[in-house]
Amino acid sequence: MQLTRRSLIAAGIALPCLGTTRGFAAGKDTLTFGLSAYPGAFSVWGQVGTAATTVKLMTHRGLLSFDHKGEIQPEIAESFARVDDAGWTFKLRDAVFHDGRPVTSADVKWSFEQVALDNSTAYYRAVMQGVKAIETPDARTVTIVMKEPLSTLPLILAMPHMMIVPKDTVFERSTLPMGAGPYKLVRQERGVALDFERFDKFYKPGLPKMPKLRMVAYADETLRVSALKSGDVDLIEYVPWQAMAEIEADKKFKLETTLGPFMYLTFNGQSGPFADKRVRQAVAYGVKRDDIVKSAFFGRGGLLEGMPLAKESPFYDPATANHFAFDPAKAKALLAEAGHPNGFACKLLSNAQYGMHRSTAEVVQQSLAAIGIQAELNLPDYATYTTLGNRGQYDMAVVGNTADYNDPDGLASLIDGTLPVSFVRSFKLDVPEIHALLAEGRRTFEPEARKAVYKKLETAFLDQVPLAPLAWREQGYAMKTAVDGFVNLPSQLTFFSGMTLETTAIA
Amino acid sequence: MTWFLRRIGVSVILIWIVASIVFLAIRMVPGDPAEILLSQGGIAPDPSLVAEIHSQLGLDKPLPVQYADRFVGLFRGDLGESLTDGTPVASEIMRRLPRTLELIAVSAVLALIFGIPAGLIAANHPGGWLDRLSGWMSALGLSVPIFVVGTLLVLVFSQTLGLVPAGGYVPLWPDPARHFMLMAMPAFTIALGLFPIIFRMTRASVLEVLQRDFVRTATAKGLSHGAIMSRHVLRNALMPVVTVLGLQLGTLLGGTVLVEYVFNFPGLSGLMVDAVNARDYPFVEGVVLVIAILFVLINLGVDLIYGVLDPRVRRS
Repeated sequence: MQLTRRSLIAAGIALPCLGTTRGFAAGKDTLTFGLSAYPGAFSVWGQVGTAATTVKLMTHRGLLSFDHKGEIQPEIAESFARVDDAGWTFKLRDAVFHDGRPVTSADVKWSFEQVALDNSTAYYRAVMQGVKAIETPDARTVTIVMKEPLSTLPLILAMPHMMIVPKDTVFERSTLPMGAGPYKLVRQERGVALDFERFDKFYKPGLPKMPKLRMVAYADETLRVSALKSGDVDLIEYVPWQAMAEIEADKKFKLETTLGPFMYLTFNGQSGPFADKRVRQAVAYGVKRDDIVKSAFFGRGGLLEGMPLAKESPFYDPATANHFAFDPAKAKALLAEAGHPNGFACKLLSNAQYGMHRSTAEVVQQSLAAIGIQAELNLPDYATYTTLGNRGQYDMAVVGNTADYNDPDGLASLIDGTLPVSFVRSFKLDVPEIHALLAEGRRTFEPEARKAVYKKLETAFLDQVPLAPLAWREQGYAMKTAVDGFVNLPSQLTFFSGMTLETTAIA
Repeated sequence: MTWFLRRIGVSVILIWIVASIVFLAIRMVPGDPAEILLSQGGIAPDPSLVAEIHSQLGLDKPLPVQYADRFVGLFRGDLGESLTDGTPVASEIMRRLPRTLELIAVSAVLALIFGIPAGLIAANHPGGWLDRLSGWMSALGLSVPIFVVGTLLVLVFSQTLGLVPAGGYVPLWPDPARHFMLMAMPAFTIALGLFPIIFRMTRASVLEVLQRDFVRTATAKGLSHGAIMSRHVLRNALMPVVTVLGLQLGTLLGGTVLVEYVFNFPGLSGLMVDAVNARDYPFVEGVVLVIAILFVLINLGVDLIYGVLDPRVRRS
């Protein structure tokens, strides 16, 4: 064969395409993470979705956080203690922001004051508006005094929506401000990817383990899995349920799942048949949950037949965990008692954008038809779904969500009907007893006394059905076997697992 | 000249109508940008916060005022800012548009490289093995949905063989090899959909031209078959092919959505899908406006190419 200039050029062009190029993730010093979406907005104190939380956890830290077992651990605060029923003192460690400035008590005070502003969009605005005073006796000490005792304050301060930023930070909507987290954001391309580099002055010696971190958004779940399998990325979040078994069986990968998020039905409590608790109870008894686990989650879930508390929770009671076990006869009897012996027709809101929401709605529709409730499905896109939900334009709605944290108080955002209307809660279904018990739980510190309060809350929940529990779902992260140190935080904390990227390395 | 100016005037009115329809349509669809922004992650959208964001974004103004503001901005060349994160629409479109154009161009070249010769050969040997093979490929390309092709390519070439990355994008420089590896599968997927159209049109057109009197005359004069094909047949037969290609390129501008989605290709179509999902009005309007302008420009371009291929068009 004669070697010509033309053939050389052709060979040069073809070279990259020859042989295997398996393993497209960036170099050995970079961990590539497949995000489930590019963050819709950057907000250090807002709750704008899982992907945004994961990104935020790279650059920011709060006073406290959750360790690998889900327990509260000191973070920017090296220690904390309760001084009285309403006050907590935090001693700050020798932490610095990414520009080298030390993190001081003034930064903590300013950050929490911003959260509490009337026009703030912070997730815990209402909690911080319950602060009576923030005292800063010295640069390393912060004392937070609440107007009312708040036993859950450490839990709230460990949430990734209570990050500390430098005093007088000027915020831009298109990027994250500076923080004191393990990584610095060095580059971002809107809708595509974010690049981070290790912050050498991070206060935890030896962390983060990886010098570089690249986060690439893969909104399509199938492509996210393909990216992992083809080696484009090292680790992915939000593993689709249909892919879990295959990933688990493949020795090249490992899957970390936890039962935490769950599916449930909300009701329009303002008017219509669901204003009657007996009808809500009938729905809770009348849904064949096993079919939801099989069809929506490919068996990767569990029945949820009581108040959504994890089995590991000290507040979990096996005696009531199966209270709403499938019982169509009981459901029919309750409907008859409520004046609907022949059932009724209603509208069931879900959305077509997420398969698990649609499949859950279809099972609910079929189950309820068997007890006489003819539910007409409304399956718009997710944006329309949230708007209709927020406006109460539905009779029943399918929701997938999780509690804020692994404590019964974490359910408040889902079951306290006195909070502003939201698609995650039943519409205008205000049960004063539930609100009062949640408030009492927050005021109570002694563990046994808290158990007693939350037992009453559970009784009220099972009686009033502020939401109809349906199914737990496994929430998973998948990674190459070489990836070490990443932990899927337990139960309801799963979406904060990005926290453990600081201990993650490629072996 | 008058004809040209009239064409421009009609095009401007057309673009204005498209922009107005999109302005109204996106606002008629349920879904409030402020609520969506605050509802991400299941946050409780306090009505006062929704109102605050409405006020910040100017969404509390009456619709005619919003319309006037929007079009005054457009006349000044300002496409506005994203409602979700404040990114300037124009700069983001300018970043994404060349990628989609490159993808379409590479796909079109691939479709032409294979489609025109295949059509020519098939027309010269109707019923032959190449004609039949091309016909089957063409039927396959037309009938298999684009996302099926894309998913199969990812399965075979990325997951199983590990030859190319599953999806994504890197700029041409400093990594041209990876750039083209990432471009290969989406371009091939689009080309596979475009190939049958080019092939069938070329084949039919060549067959039709071959029946014309001037071909018979040229043959009688003793011109070689190759000369007849290149000088007379192809030149005349390509007119409808160019027309169809022009129309298809315009359609592809908005029609690469699925391909960009399947291959996680951050182009203009993907940007529009994200914007619609977030009800990010300025982005939706900006992208549609740019696509409409390009569509008009492509049609003008097709008219000009007509003139090159057929001098009678220029004279008329």
